[in-house]
Amino acid sequence: MKLDKDSRKLSKQLFQASFTDGKLDEGKVRIIAKKIADSKPRNFVGILKDFQRQVRLDVEKHHAVIESAQPLDDAMSKQVVDGLKAKYGPSISSEFKVTPDLIGGLRIKIGSDVFDSSVRSRLDRLETNLLHA
Amino acid sequence: MSSILQELESQISGLKTTTSKSNVGIVREIGDGVARIEGLSDVMLNELIEFPGGLYGLALNLEESEVGCILLGDEKEVIEGTEVKTTGRLLSVPVGKGLLGRVVDTLGAPVDGKGPITSSAIYPVEKIAPGIIKRKSVSQPVQTGIMAIDAMIPIGRGQRELIIGDRATGKTTIAIDTIINQARINKANEGKEGFRPLYSIYVGIGQKNSNIARSLAVLEAAGAMPYTIIVTAPASDTATNQYLAPFSGAAMGEWFMDNGMDALIVYDDLSKHAVAYRQVSLLLKRPSGREAYPGDVFYLHSRLLERSARVNEQNGNGSVTALPIIETQAGDVSAYIPTNVISITDGQIYLETDLFYQGIRPAVSVGLSVSRVGSAAQIKGMKQVAGKIKGDLAQFRELAAFAQFGSDLDAKTKGMLDRGARIVELFKQVQYNPLATEVQVATLWAMQNAYFDDVPVDKVKDFQLKLQEYLTTRKDAVLAKIRDKGAIDDDITADLKSAVGDFKSSYR
Repeated sequence: MKLDKDSRKLSKQLFQASFTDGKLDEGKVRIIAKKIADSKPRNFVGILKDFQRQVRLDVEKHHAVIESAQPLDDAMSKQVVDGLKAKYGPSISSEFKVTPDLIGGLRIKIGSDVFDSSVRSRLDRLETNLLHA
Repeated sequence: MSSILQELESQISGLKTTTSKSNVGIVREIGDGVARIEGLSDVMLNELIEFPGGLYGLALNLEESEVGCILLGDEKEVIEGTEVKTTGRLLSVPVGKGLLGRVVDTLGAPVDGKGPITSSAIYPVEKIAPGIIKRKSVSQPVQTGIMAIDAMIPIGRGQRELIIGDRATGKTTIAIDTIINQARINKANEGKEGFRPLYSIYVGIGQKNSNIARSLAVLEAAGAMPYTIIVTAPASDTATNQYLAPFSGAAMGEWFMDNGMDALIVYDDLSKHAVAYRQVSLLLKRPSGREAYPGDVFYLHSRLLERSARVNEQNGNGSVTALPIIETQAGDVSAYIPTNVISITDGQIYLETDLFYQGIRPAVSVGLSVSRVGSAAQIKGMKQVAGKIKGDLAQFRELAAFAQFGSDLDAKTKGMLDRGARIVELFKQVQYNPLATEVQVATLWAMQNAYFDDVPVDKVKDFQLKLQEYLTTRKDAVLAKIRDKGAIDDDITADLKSAVGDFKSSYR
């Protein structure tokens, strides 16, 4: 559904108001969402959806998804998270996933950056190189 | 076998890099050849975006949290949630002499079924035009082989000359004639020292496939394909491909210019190109302006046509000449896109429907056609014989309008009218039959020296054709002299006098 200009502007203002010291404030986000749901301004569903999208994009920017073919041991997990914190700042949250499809290696996604050392991606690249070279 | 093993090994070793970093995004919306992508935080304007399955897109709109991207292929495989990534590359096409004789699509892929193209280099499709320092003024002619144009509206190498007119007035024919003439000249002078061949590129934008096939057949029959590249984005192609096709053609032309050669590029036609760009812009939700064209439609054509240039000796001395074509509606040259392109180009050849149906073909309107480069792009011989013709013809048109009302005319006026009527006849020319410059010069010399004056107007064409045949078959030495010297001196004048005099005495 397309959001009209005023609603988009409002949701943007609300999103900008959800920050404390440059960081998204969960408490503020909750309050704002509740207020919108309660006061029901015009097109409030659209506004909430857009607000949620902006919050989601911001959360994704500071959230790392670490995928591996097999579960990582604690030492390895800690090393990976420390490495990410060194690069992206200490506020990074992380999540581990087991994806057997990767075959081997790691795939880390944080915001729109992807670090890929999986066997799957290498095979994919090989396939592309052989097919389109 | 060993070479394929080595190749595989090198490719596998190339993959040994430990981790690859990429910037990805997720497709949120897809349709009509346009994708809206969330993410792609590092994307650059005009960057190629890689979709799964070897499909690419071009990032055209960079917004706060989304990227508007046009797809360069079939969108069937792309669904919402598809992951795409940036490539750090610009859209490029293969360039070089390997493309000559081929028909390619917007991305430089062959569509003529003649196998893969061997190209030595790739060039970015969007490139900034050469600056002032690199340029040189236009001084060498492009011989179109069409007498009306070569005599009155000369085109030079590096010039941008617009061909404008209503539908079915012979715009494409002029372009095709010019390409055929270049091939003839190239073939005749191949290997001669100091000769600079002119390679042609024909870009068909939004044309019917049947039209492209017809042009191709004509070029093949005339033996012009070995010197020609055809870039085609037919009407059935996506708006994206139609929008990018002229830029691809310009990139192919620039390779010739950068390597010290000359190229001629025909954009057929830029009206349809503007329409394709309007479609892309509207789908990308860019604000629309006059006639729903986006605000940058002028820049679209100016940046394309600015890439035609003549560069100086330090930069290879090459050139790209552009012949953009614009189709007008009911002869309205003051519409939005025609005025834009008229103001960008260095002159225009205006074709009139009325003249076309009066049988004056090519239907060049002398009054409205102009070449701003002027006689700097004419050989001396042509300047000597054609210098006054445009003026004579303009006067004829003016007098002819008056003469319709009065019956009594003084001898001078009558002389002018007679001369004008004969010049009009002289400039009629059948399609796909370009004339060599020396033949044009000799014919115009005969006209200037009153050899046509006592030929009845309805016999002028016959007289001219027979004279041309006589000169080419019997008096080739005179033509060769004109060709070699490039000017008419006393010696050639004497030869012409005797040749044309002999012919006239035997003509019946």
